[in-house]
Amino acid sequence: MKTRFTGLFILFTISLFGQTKISGIVKDEKGEPIPGANIFIQDSYDGVSSDMEGNFSFISDEKGDKILVATFVGYKQFQQSVELNGQPLVIHIQLKEEINQLDAVVISAGSFTAGEEKRRTILKAVDIATTAGATADIAGALNTLPGTTKVGESGRLFVRGGDSNEARTFIDGMVVLDAYGPSAPNTPSRGRFLPFMFKGTSFSTGGYSAEYGQALSSALVLNSKDKAEMNQTDIGILSVGTDAAHTQVWNRSSLSGKLQYTNIRPYFGLINQRVDWKTAPASLEGSAAYRAQVGKDGVLKFFGNFNHSDFSMYNHEILDPTIKHQFDLNNNYRYGNGTYQQSLNKNWSVRGGLSYTFNQNDAKQDGTPLGDTEKGIHAKAVLENTISDKVEVRFGGELIDRNYSASRQNENSGALESLSFHESIAASFVEAELYANKHFVTKIGGRTEYDGLIDKFSVDPRLSLAYKPGSNGQFSFAYGTFRQSAKNQYVMLNNNLTPEKAEHFILNYQIINDRRTFRVETYYKKYNQLVKFQNGDPQLLTNLGTGYAKGVELFWRDNQTLKNVDYWISYSFLDTKRNYLDFPTAATPSFASKHNISFVYKHFITAWKSQLGFTYSYGSGRPYYNPNNSSDHFNSDKTPSYQDLSANVAYLPKSNLILYVSCTNLLGHNNIFGYQYSSQPNASGEYVSRAVRQPAPRFLFVGVFITITKNKSVNQLPNL
Amino acid sequence: MKAIIFILTLISSTVFANDDKYTEVMSKNIDAIYNAKTVDEYQQAINSFERIGNAEKSKWEPFYYASFGYLMMATREKDGGKKDQLLDMAAASLDKAKAIKDNESEIVALEGFVHMIRLTVDPATRGPKYSGMAMQSFGKAIGLNPENPRALVFMAQMQYGTAEFFKSPTTEACATLAKSLEKFATFKADNPLAPQWGRGVAEGMKEQCK
Repeated sequence: MKTRFTGLFILFTISLFGQTKISGIVKDEKGEPIPGANIFIQDSYDGVSSDMEGNFSFISDEKGDKILVATFVGYKQFQQSVELNGQPLVIHIQLKEEINQLDAVVISAGSFTAGEEKRRTILKAVDIATTAGATADIAGALNTLPGTTKVGESGRLFVRGGDSNEARTFIDGMVVLDAYGPSAPNTPSRGRFLPFMFKGTSFSTGGYSAEYGQALSSALVLNSKDKAEMNQTDIGILSVGTDAAHTQVWNRSSLSGKLQYTNIRPYFGLINQRVDWKTAPASLEGSAAYRAQVGKDGVLKFFGNFNHSDFSMYNHEILDPTIKHQFDLNNNYRYGNGTYQQSLNKNWSVRGGLSYTFNQNDAKQDGTPLGDTEKGIHAKAVLENTISDKVEVRFGGELIDRNYSASRQNENSGALESLSFHESIAASFVEAELYANKHFVTKIGGRTEYDGLIDKFSVDPRLSLAYKPGSNGQFSFAYGTFRQSAKNQYVMLNNNLTPEKAEHFILNYQIINDRRTFRVETYYKKYNQLVKFQNGDPQLLTNLGTGYAKGVELFWRDNQTLKNVDYWISYSFLDTKRNYLDFPTAATPSFASKHNISFVYKHFITAWKSQLGFTYSYGSGRPYYNPNNSSDHFNSDKTPSYQDLSANVAYLPKSNLILYVSCTNLLGHNNIFGYQYSSQPNASGEYVSRAVRQPAPRFLFVGVFITITKNKSVNQLPNL
Repeated sequence: MKAIIFILTLISSTVFANDDKYTEVMSKNIDAIYNAKTVDEYQQAINSFERIGNAEKSKWEPFYYASFGYLMMATREKDGGKKDQLLDMAAASLDKAKAIKDNESEIVALEGFVHMIRLTVDPATRGPKYSGMAMQSFGKAIGLNPENPRALVFMAQMQYGTAEFFKSPTTEACATLAKSLEKFATFKADNPLAPQWGRGVAEGMKEQCK
């Protein structure tokens, strides 16, 4: 009896002492109270939320050694071992801020990031597709951003006084050797990749990550879309051709394919062109993308495309335009890449890939064959380690191996003369991102390259800093050295040419306030080891060329003040000179203009179910050399300014149907890109000039896009 | 023998007691979240759901309601950035619920609701993507349980919005709404903690379908 009583008594007291009162206060690192934090005993219901003053108090029935947890959005989880034995506990909790928050500082010097997910990006993926005047060309849309120069006869990206080959394109981190389609001399080319393939774009005009090499002026990093979410078929009927695409979705994978036929012949038949076409360009292009989820968090992507295009035209001699030369071009292009990424554990992740580019031009000049072929592979592996929320380290290695050959039939002997080179570059890079706190971040890294062709090893340091004093505005600085092999046509002549080199210094201020962005950036870029002709002889190449570029750029975007209206304005000031190639002295190259302005306006009119867009572009005159002057006037003449007002309308009469009309140069401004001179003086001893103009004052494009899905509300608007 | 039976009864009764405690605490907090008006009240209820979810480990309802709470906070938030942050929290809680119970119509429907609110942050750029994703989630939720009135009413809203934009007839949307109202009136879940909310949304939409 007695023992039974004692037993009951013990039970009673245990349950009595089993209740422990836990109280305290939750504060942040600055000592400010945190209301609404969740404080509880792990694996139990016992807990409470902190009150307005950060205080908390609760009673737990748990006993023994337990873990007290405190959590709050934007802060790291707090854990502390406690012994619950009935004795009241008073615990002061300090929560530490988590850095990976929306308001943390990010490095913005030199780069324009476009993603659809993050709100605080300057340009969204869809913006690229809907910019008037760009006709859904990535480079066309990026040419409305500061740092670019409009070079109308090329259609390519020219960044901060750099030539177009200095801007390289990467898809999912893998290099693309020739990102533009073929075009006739002095007619703009288009990018080979359509904007709708990508979910995000990062356009860097300098100071980019050590991960990207072999690019002197700019890295355009395109991230392809993930697994598609629904089956759909798209059909496009265009004034210049037709396309069809289909996407098939499975549980963990998706496959998309697209076939596109472009033939500009009927259009050129209607609208008079300045180019004397024998056969205007036509092309057939196919692409396919496969995406699969592997395991819990592995992602596998394959992308491939092929393109065949051809045209035939006559070039007229300047001195005697009745003498014409036929030029035929057949271009075959194939690009493929496969990438894989996988998280190894909480801290480590790995990604890697392989890409292959094949580009072949078979041309005939007055029936005499000439051409070139470039084949290249790029293999890369990157490891990332998130050591803590303040330290992230990334390192990797890559190999770029390419073969280039060019040939031409000797007109006199009939023998085929060819030149070629094989270049193999092995590179490694390491980069660390260090957050002191959410206001200050440093990114430091370097890149080493071994160039097998010249048997030389190089090291390029990179450094960026960003400081965000308040919640919106931030300052960034970036520095780095960059190198890139000289153009194929020069390396082929002289296999001992060392890569060209550039050094960037960038200072940036950016403020993003809800849906308004202001940005100002200034930079200085120094060029070294540029290809230079010895004594003006294009066969004798040295690396003695030098140059610089400096400038100031402004950007303003406002998507808030006016309802359904989105506009941006960019201005670039560029001061650049080079002494390279055949330049007798340091001079501004003909692709550079001092002032560039773009105004892009987009207005969605609900009542008309239409999106209207306008783009106005201005570029001040570009230098050219008039050989009738002495060589100390090299590149001292200037073309008239470039002006273009383009418009587009996308009309959605039904949810799965879009009618699209766009027209460039509405005002018909007579744009002159430069002057070509006769190679020999005429009878009166003068070199005769011919202006390089647009092939036609305007380009009109009409398209009908139909989407077929089970879900009728889907259309191709994001693709346009 | 008797002792064994006694012990067995004791064990089973404590098991029941635990489940009862779960149901009781959950019911209390479900009431709290349905009636919450301030951010503070939402956060309190969400915190409770998170505690319960972390302790139970095999129940999807606590994370479902925590997600619902964040979603309600998101609908009241004006600032786009903060709205996205709350939606991220809602999505993270839903992921936990999904890991416990895959293919639950209510979870899939709430997922669609998250996409719908994400769309409202920036309709011009997010519209095409998130409207497709929302429609797909609602469709899947209805497929999993054709009786789910919440999936039906949101589907009706999406259909209505699309029809209105393209000035096409709203008959399809209104038929879905009618079905939703019918299910709200008749649908009885066997689970006492099953979601009950959403009827007000359907009643409010009736006006548009007159």
